[in-house]
Amino acid sequence: MSDYIERFRTSERILHWVVTCSFFTLLLTGLGLYSRLFNGFFGLFGGGQGAILTHKISGIIFFFSSLYMFFNHKKDVSSFDDSDWQWIKKYGGYLTKYGVHFDIGKYNPGQKLFAVFIAAATVALGLTGIFIWFPGSFPRWIVQMSLLLHSTMFVGSIMFVVVHVYLATIGNPGTIEAMLYGDVRTLWAKKHHPKWYKDVTEENQ
Amino acid sequence: MADTINQTARKGFLVDTSRCIGCRSCQVACKQWNKLDADKTSNKGTFENPRDLTPALYNRIKFIEKETSGEISWLFFNERCMHCGDAGCMKVCPSPGALYRTKEGIVAYNKEKCISCKYCVSACPFNIPRYGSDDKVSKCHLCQSRVEGGIAPACAKACPTEALKFGKRSDLIAKATAAKKTLYGVDSLNGLGVVYALEGPPEQYGLPTNPSIPLSIFLWKDVIKPLGILGFWGSIGAMLLHYVTIGPKKIDSDHDVREDSNE
Repeated sequence: MSDYIERFRTSERILHWVVTCSFFTLLLTGLGLYSRLFNGFFGLFGGGQGAILTHKISGIIFFFSSLYMFFNHKKDVSSFDDSDWQWIKKYGGYLTKYGVHFDIGKYNPGQKLFAVFIAAATVALGLTGIFIWFPGSFPRWIVQMSLLLHSTMFVGSIMFVVVHVYLATIGNPGTIEAMLYGDVRTLWAKKHHPKWYKDVTEENQ
Repeated sequence: MADTINQTARKGFLVDTSRCIGCRSCQVACKQWNKLDADKTSNKGTFENPRDLTPALYNRIKFIEKETSGEISWLFFNERCMHCGDAGCMKVCPSPGALYRTKEGIVAYNKEKCISCKYCVSACPFNIPRYGSDDKVSKCHLCQSRVEGGIAPACAKACPTEALKFGKRSDLIAKATAAKKTLYGVDSLNGLGVVYALEGPPEQYGLPTNPSIPLSIFLWKDVIKPLGILGFWGSIGAMLLHYVTIGPKKIDSDHDVREDSNE
């Protein structure tokens, strides 16, 4: 039995980091637009106009790569079973000091929620972004609503991303490897995603 | 960068619509002083011309046709930036110094600092800012340089009937109130820099009865923005707190509990 098992293929990992890079570019270029408090971030892009241009380009990259990533994982993130219920009832075991583990498939309900939220946010941010990009071509109330929704969805996304980064790194030791070089330890797979582990190892036999 | 306005030093217009004869001297004088190009226009069967503000038209006379007992009469309305005391454009502008308030209370702008985001277009309660081919904001700046030099703006200087009166805002309001005029814009939005003595209800002139910053703009800047910053640092704090109190889920822990639904 191998000590490692592949969790994400190379193409999946590259796609994930494309989404990540475009997300953080959007964050850095958008901060100055979000509030004058963050005006200094414009300097990273040679001023406000440079930041807006970079925001538009990375927005297009993020929109398509993020949606593509969601459709890649759609099958695994749209399922729901009894073990998922157990996970939700016990808050995924994250509120107890002792490790509680569940018979989870490839993704737990928290990961599924994150995937669905980011996909919905991508659509909402992309759509409102178009209205904000061309305010003269749409009724004023649509652009006004878009400005509100764009910032609201951004706030939701950044809060989800903070949790995502924490749980995928220091919150769950052994997880980040899945996105770095693709392999996780067998022990990790058996504890965090036993149903998925069973499925893939049976497939390979 | 809080938008503060000194109400006592504030200068502005009093527009008495009953005195306006629709000559459009104000439009022409503005074009001349500000060296603005002519706009291509078209005949739409009305004397109103042009039909809307443009990047090269900072103020215009709106012709409103009114029919009373079979007779047509006109209402004239000078449309321009209102220089709101609480200005939506300044509230949303992300580029410090692009839109700013002068000591006379003018909402002035610096095209070199404008970053072409066009947020001001959406945030204006009166739909005034326009963007031209330079992709920069343009609107009435109340002849900022003339006012600083102690003379009246070009439009007010050119007005032959004193329908457009420029001066100390509080004096103009006091005089008009003494003359028993019904005024528009004295208190709304922390006082408009352009106060109107109208001949009818504001709606007749296409004005909002109670002008205010659009609700979605208020929610965006005054609710979501501060809550978002709180939420961001809150979630980082929560994660750190989780790490030091409960700690990570170690995969080699001996104290694990299995929760198997199929058992």
